[in-house]
Amino acid sequence: MMNGIPPLRIGDLTAPIPIVQGGMGVGISLAGLASAVARAGGIGVISAALVGFYEGEAEFFRDPTRANIRGLKRQIALAREKAPEGIIGVNIMVALTDFEPLVQAACEAGADIIFSGAGLPLNLPELRPEGSRTKLAPIVSSPRAAKLVAQRWWKKYGCVPDAVVVEGPQAGGHLGFSVKELEAPESRLEVLVPRVIEALKPFEDRAGKAIPVIAAGGIYTGYDIYRYLHEIGASGVQMGTRFVATHECDASPAFKEAFLRAGKEDLTIIRSPVGLPGRALRGSFLRKVEAGEKRPYRCMYHCLRSCDYRKSPYCIAAALINAQRGNLEAGFVFAGANAWRVDRIVSVQELIDELLREYHQARLEREGGNP
Amino acid sequence: MSVEEKVIKIIAEKLNVSEDQVKPEASFVDDLGADSLDLVELVMAMEEEFGMEISDEEAEKLRTVGDVLNFVRERVKE
Repeated sequence: MMNGIPPLRIGDLTAPIPIVQGGMGVGISLAGLASAVARAGGIGVISAALVGFYEGEAEFFRDPTRANIRGLKRQIALAREKAPEGIIGVNIMVALTDFEPLVQAACEAGADIIFSGAGLPLNLPELRPEGSRTKLAPIVSSPRAAKLVAQRWWKKYGCVPDAVVVEGPQAGGHLGFSVKELEAPESRLEVLVPRVIEALKPFEDRAGKAIPVIAAGGIYTGYDIYRYLHEIGASGVQMGTRFVATHECDASPAFKEAFLRAGKEDLTIIRSPVGLPGRALRGSFLRKVEAGEKRPYRCMYHCLRSCDYRKSPYCIAAALINAQRGNLEAGFVFAGANAWRVDRIVSVQELIDELLREYHQARLEREGGNP
Repeated sequence: MSVEEKVIKIIAEKLNVSEDQVKPEASFVDDLGADSLDLVELVMAMEEEFGMEISDEEAEKLRTVGDVLNFVRERVKE
């Protein structure tokens, strides 16, 4: 291989660098970051969550669904323009109110792959229009969920996932674990990945094709990548936190600086209105929420199916948009468990180069010098 | 085996509880300790056993053992 690292193959797609940039909403990974990652040889992923907000506020509040669909299509086209040869994916959470139309829009706009978690994407294949080449990759947090989705797709649609992302308890943002499960030894990513691979094996056999498993959550260095690819059996890795600390990341400088400033003690688990725990950086906003401060609001965004805004202490859409824009007094930052290790902001290419250097170093150490 | 007996057997098996716990008034989540994945598994098992399709909207309304019994009785009659 050109880079000396095994490429990530998903059907007819080949990413020379087996790194998927995790979709990060709201507005953290848009066309800017996704295209930079795709250009560097990885898979760049646009977050579909409230993507219509970046079409202009007036436009958005007039008709959020329409703005989201238009926004998603525009981001995909923009990313494609900036990275014509690269692989562009989209992350669409099952919990989004507009899940169905956004999946259709992504396929129509020619996204290469859709990643979908925060709920079980049981009906994803029926939303993909006939003849679409867009690949479908569920994000799961247990072998049980992987098996359920594969079973459902196989029985109902005669297909299997094109790839599966396994997100462990060290990930940032929404987590597919209960607070108790987060600490359990059997929840650790290195335990989950082989078990998911095993759970998918019968479906690979039935469908006669490989289902690459992508490990996610807490992967930080090229050494980690080496370990997951060669010692644990993953076909690729997904990383989020590292890509926040890049020039190309679509968040404001203040958002990225929150990562630079963060210490280990700043990472916390919140109860998100999505109905899942989420890992975030504790700032003044979350401190007030922890202290019981409530910010009643009228739902303007209609973003999540599962959010009962009358019971939620604050609007998560507004909080995440505020943080993305750099207003950290009025919002908060989702972050992976290793976010405290971030100490500088680099370009996406510099980051990939660094990860590759570490990967090769790890390979040399484990396999001995064999150039 | 009657339809009712089949339903109770499937529920007991999938949720790993004894058949006498599977009473019509028992709530899957509150009384039988089911999580969201259990509920999906249960719906898929019912579909398979009775050769029917249960839509997501219908599935959401199945909160107790009695809900499922009524639902399956209705459907099987049709």
